[in-house]
Amino acid sequence: MPQTTIYVSPRSLGAPDTRPPAVATTDLARLFAGSPAVAGVSLRIDAGRAVALLGPNGAGKTTLLRLLATAIRPSYGRASVDGLDVDRNAALVRERVAYLSHATGLYDDLSARENLRFAAAMLGTTDATPRVERALSDVGLRDRADDRVRDFSAGMRKRLALGRILLGSASLVLLDEPYAALDADGMGLVDQLLVAWREVGVTVLLASHSTARLDALLDGRVTLERGLVLAAGGEGVVSTPPSLPGATRPSVAEVLR
Amino acid sequence: MNALRVEARIALAVARKDALAELRGRHATVSTLFFAAVVLLLFGFALGPDAARLAAAAPGFLWLAVVFAGILAVNRLHLLETDDGALEQLALYPVPRRAIYAGKALGGFAVMLILGVLVLGAVGVLFAVDVIGAWLPLLTTVVLGAVGVAAVGTFYAGVTVRLRAREVMLPLLMLPALAPLLLGAVKATSAALAGDPFGELGAWLQLLVAFDVIMIVAGAATYGYLLEDG
Repeated sequence: MPQTTIYVSPRSLGAPDTRPPAVATTDLARLFAGSPAVAGVSLRIDAGRAVALLGPNGAGKTTLLRLLATAIRPSYGRASVDGLDVDRNAALVRERVAYLSHATGLYDDLSARENLRFAAAMLGTTDATPRVERALSDVGLRDRADDRVRDFSAGMRKRLALGRILLGSASLVLLDEPYAALDADGMGLVDQLLVAWREVGVTVLLASHSTARLDALLDGRVTLERGLVLAAGGEGVVSTPPSLPGATRPSVAEVLR
Repeated sequence: MNALRVEARIALAVARKDALAELRGRHATVSTLFFAAVVLLLFGFALGPDAARLAAAAPGFLWLAVVFAGILAVNRLHLLETDDGALEQLALYPVPRRAIYAGKALGGFAVMLILGVLVLGAVGVLFAVDVIGAWLPLLTTVVLGAVGVAAVGTFYAGVTVRLRAREVMLPLLMLPALAPLLLGAVKATSAALAGDPFGELGAWLQLLVAFDVIMIVAGAATYGYLLEDG
């Protein structure tokens, strides 16, 4: 079982109000085979906020997270993390961002411990051995640490991927459907992580279909629809209408139609 | 100097991870070795029982078997990255891309070296050539050849890893690029087995060194772009 206090190790973040916006995008767009998955998003999220990215399937949530994580490059527009352009300063952005995608990015033939040790080496984690053991403990996988990931359930894989994030010192954590595949304990673990990150000033952007269980944990929400911001609100979240030719924010009536 | 040490640490971590995963899936290693042995046997059958012809053709057989089996080996090392989004995760680590290339190539080199030594031994037994008498130049040739196959293979496996038709595309891309290496390695092996009567061994080894250096530099410089998903 996870410990009551989860260890997260942020970089030296400073006071949130002295930091540049954790996320700032201007007319950000990404096309796949000519079709826009993100169609002109202009958004600012202040540092240290926990924000949900809402919307139905195909709204552009995952694509927006992948753009911010530098997994893909923008087709148009700009995006920055902590003031660093994700396209021109991708290497520096990667030092600041942790990303949990639908895929866990784990190696099936390695054990849970070996996967985390490899991640620690790649993340340059100091005191790697105790940090790996602590992360295994925090995500409730200490007893299965030497088992191959191939034999893990989807929920256990998700826990281990969350453990990998704990080894780094990201200032922005991007979570794509973090509750998916998790049991009640696993969902509680994600809740604990959100609290822990918030306490140390880490910004969290979390894609989800629903925020029913997140009300107390979030500062703001951004709702996407067809690659555009339908609504944005809460503390530290500002969205402006797109200025790309042809990109207009859909009306509520259009969406409901 | 510190940056170099960091990159070396990352490369070793990648190579160690590949080696661990490869050892766990031992069937892949065994099947690669078995494939190399079958290639040698088939070449032998194709030439018939003439011992002199077999011995004369042995250097060519050796390197064709190493290259064909090498394609399987480097492909396998990149297939590890197709596990549940592992390639994307690898690309998102805040590390220099050339260090990832170095690590993958190092893992490929280790596999190719083992493969080369074993195939060399098999050639000695199957085609009755004296590989022990010329062990030093032969081993040098195998080391340089293994570096070249690993350097080229790592680059092209990176090119093809996201393709559905990667098993077809990898040899199509790799084999032409390996032609200079194949020429140099076969000539160097022939010269070494014959006792280097014309003093050409050094020149062929130099060709292999030049090939290796060019391919390593080119691979390290461009591998980062291959990790991008557009």
